[in-house]
Amino acid sequence: MTWWQALIDAGAVPAAFVPPPASRAGLGSDIDAGTERADIVEDGELQAHPVPDRSAARVPAAVSFLAGIERWSVVAYDGVVQIVSAYVAAAIRRRDERGRLHTTRERSRAFAVAPLQRMKPALRQRLEQMAPDLEPMDGDLVEQPARYLERVESTVRRVRAGIERELADACIAGLPPEEWLVLDGLLSRSPAVARHPRALGVIKSHGAQFLEGRGLERALTLPAGHRTSVFAVRGGHTRTEVYSWYLRLWPWEGNDLLYGLLRVEARADRETVARATELSGWLWAERAPLATPATRWDRLLYPLHNVEEYLSALAPRQPQLRRVSRLPKTGT
Amino acid sequence: MIARPDKDTPPPTPIGRVVATELKPATPHQFHFWTATETSIGIGAIVKVGGDGTGEAGRVVYGVVTDGFAYSDLATPLHDVVGAEGDPTRAAAPTTRQEIRYWTAAVLRQTPEEPLQPVPLGQVYLAADADVAQALRMDTFLYSATPTAIPIGLYTSAGHEAPVYLDADFLLGPEAAHLNISGVSGLATKTSAVEFLLGSIFAHFPAHKGRIAALCFNVKGPDLCFLDQPGDLSDEDRQRYQRLGVPPTPFERVRFYAPLKADGVNLNTLRTHPDLVSDVEPLTWGLQEVVDFAEVLLNKDDIDAKADAFIDFLRDRVLGRTFDDGFGGTHRVQTFADLDRLFRSIFDGLEIASGGRSGSDTWRTHHIATIRKVRNRLLNISTRCKGLVTDDGPSSDLPWKEFTDRTVYVIDIANVDPLGQDLVFARVVSKLREQLERRELGVDAVVVFVDELNKYAPGDGSETYVKKMLLDISERGRYLGMALFGAEQFRSQVHRRVVGNAGTQLFGRMDMDELATPGYQVLSPATKSKLATLPIGELMVRHPHFTQPIFVRFPKPPVLRGRDGVGRFPPAADVPFEDAVVRQLVRLDRRVRPNQVKDLIAEREQDDVRRALAAVRHTRPDDVLAYFRKVLGSRVVPAPALPQAQHAVPPLNTISDEPY
Repeated sequence: MTWWQALIDAGAVPAAFVPPPASRAGLGSDIDAGTERADIVEDGELQAHPVPDRSAARVPAAVSFLAGIERWSVVAYDGVVQIVSAYVAAAIRRRDERGRLHTTRERSRAFAVAPLQRMKPALRQRLEQMAPDLEPMDGDLVEQPARYLERVESTVRRVRAGIERELADACIAGLPPEEWLVLDGLLSRSPAVARHPRALGVIKSHGAQFLEGRGLERALTLPAGHRTSVFAVRGGHTRTEVYSWYLRLWPWEGNDLLYGLLRVEARADRETVARATELSGWLWAERAPLATPATRWDRLLYPLHNVEEYLSALAPRQPQLRRVSRLPKTGT
Repeated sequence: MIARPDKDTPPPTPIGRVVATELKPATPHQFHFWTATETSIGIGAIVKVGGDGTGEAGRVVYGVVTDGFAYSDLATPLHDVVGAEGDPTRAAAPTTRQEIRYWTAAVLRQTPEEPLQPVPLGQVYLAADADVAQALRMDTFLYSATPTAIPIGLYTSAGHEAPVYLDADFLLGPEAAHLNISGVSGLATKTSAVEFLLGSIFAHFPAHKGRIAALCFNVKGPDLCFLDQPGDLSDEDRQRYQRLGVPPTPFERVRFYAPLKADGVNLNTLRTHPDLVSDVEPLTWGLQEVVDFAEVLLNKDDIDAKADAFIDFLRDRVLGRTFDDGFGGTHRVQTFADLDRLFRSIFDGLEIASGGRSGSDTWRTHHIATIRKVRNRLLNISTRCKGLVTDDGPSSDLPWKEFTDRTVYVIDIANVDPLGQDLVFARVVSKLREQLERRELGVDAVVVFVDELNKYAPGDGSETYVKKMLLDISERGRYLGMALFGAEQFRSQVHRRVVGNAGTQLFGRMDMDELATPGYQVLSPATKSKLATLPIGELMVRHPHFTQPIFVRFPKPPVLRGRDGVGRFPPAADVPFEDAVVRQLVRLDRRVRPNQVKDLIAEREQDDVRRALAAVRHTRPDDVLAYFRKVLGSRVVPAPALPQAQHAVPPLNTISDEPY
């Protein structure tokens, strides 16, 4: 019996709300929102630089890829209090010399999210007894279900980011010479990772804008197979300064401005500027194989997609199964 | 022999895991599993599924891999094109797509067998020796108090070899019987498999089932002419023989029979090398042996009720008896020559009795046209099958009632007229059946090997005597102890009751067109593909105990292959009449001096010499030369021919001119 079934047996109302796909797995770790400050550290102003063709790209022999997933759903109600079952997981899969990925580290956490202080004593006691892992929440938004769920989502995302950071730190600590770590999302979340010479962050969402004016236009209309000049990213939620640049993997013309557009983060170092074209050539070569059938295949590197698929295969199925039908049940 | 499973043996390492989806569920007869991309298993591999960890501990399922699939997470081939930007040279990507090796297996056996349930979603292991025995239900006849296991070959998979056994009760009777082997020509698979299997049967035929012999019809080339000569074996083959417990030696007791050529003295076989020809017995039959099988030699149009009645009359009232022809002549018909004299006497008598008038056209209620037709057909036999059928003189036959245990009797009819082949086949099989029924053959069971069933028992075409006989063996042979081992190129074109009654079926490399016929619909595409590319020495086996076809390897037979034998023992050219006579007499008695024989037969009629020679072969006296001299008789100077009245025999009517 799951903890939420026990809760329902104790009087909670069963629920089956699963957030729509757009706000679920895959977006969490690389959400990049707001306006950030950036200083151009290469060229006088933002320029477009061609990257080496795939045949000329220098792909490192060994690379580890880190990505994570998150899933959550409302499983029970105590009055209007929404009780959430969440699952987050992250893994590092290392690519060997034959191009095959093998899992080297992984971590997951299945937990309940609930505002304990707003629950009825009996149900709270039951939840505390039965749930193996509990993430408490403030109860101030309980009466505003939609905003409450937004907070649930950010809570789950924070937990996911936490285990991703733990994995990244552990990986970086033992990263062999010549081996690289590529993260799905911000590099700057962990100081150790952000300062490592062989760590890259790959950001697919572009909520945060670092550029403006002509620089912004050049970045968003970057031709395929080109990168922008390197700029420094600091402030905001990033605690450690990193260097960054945009890279266009696929032609955007005929699609949208963000189509095939990646933002790459690397340590803030002169060498990063010197190697930006070479590193871009490597990431450009990672366009193949395509990360289909992922909807964001245009900017999702296949190894990161593979890590997500790996984690999805191991994830518990209950939240998915409960989405099968929301039609009212018949009397029988 | 496979050792019983040892409970202390450490558990094997799993090589895969059963998976089931709504679209491809596990059922009681089929399941699916995946393995690592680099795996040693393939089509035909036997696997074991343990129910441990699935809530079904103790349940074990054995299966054989029937199909395999490999695919990646590529949603559509177009995505690969896009990823490579349309350039195949760019198709290599830094990351290899996630792949799967996905296998389909057909259930061979479940333990416990009841209740029969879907295969548990457990781990998959490669089958070990004991598992193979369990999977193929061989344990029932392998470990019983009276084992009846006959090795057929080695199941090989992933570097592992396990012996596979057939149940003698189902191969040679009485439960089921007969074996049918199909395969394309020219790969030496069919003949080699039968040669190996005969050796295996001789080595493992259980003592409690009595004595066994094999009778093989050599119908093409020198295929079976050197079964007593050792062939070249590799170390690998010798290891396989050791693993199977079969001695890698040629057959100890082989007796070869071949008809004579038209000259009546040279053997009609490719085993005529001087070192070997002495082991070949002539096979010659006279009227007595042939007349019972007249139906074989006469086509359906010939055998109407009247002709049949007249043949019966001859058989019952005339042959071997002193017979009055009604015209004053007395006959004792024992040879074709005697029969010809009788016919001429009848025709002359009728001619004289009619006095040139029409009207007297019956003899003993038989119309003269019927008599003429039967005379034409019967006397024509000795012409068409000259060498096999003698006009006169004693016959030389198989050792009826004296068959010996573990002996192969080879009858070489490769160069005989098809009519003669039919005659040999019909008579030999009939005699075998007759003597097995009476338990007087000398052995309790006989394997009859017939190649080219496409020719002798075709699925379509007329109902020949030989086909009827093969059907009879197929349907009744197992009760008598006669097992038919038949081989053909196209199983689909053999009479379905012949192949259908074969309890054990072997398949060598098959033609794709043949595999497209309905008889192979039960096989998966992968199994068909494997069959179409099967190497020499590998077979697919179907046996009553095996619920699915199994692939096995068998070692090269330890005998000299036909074409190698001809190379090592080139056939001798036909020798002159005198030398051939000398050779046959020397074979019977090494004291015989060639010059003495040549002096004896000089200026003698060849027919007289042949008759004398046949008499010697038949009698096998202690002093061959003396007996030969005696039966040949003293030389008589031919008297000048006296003028005598010639009674013209009217020319024989052709069938189309018959008055009815």
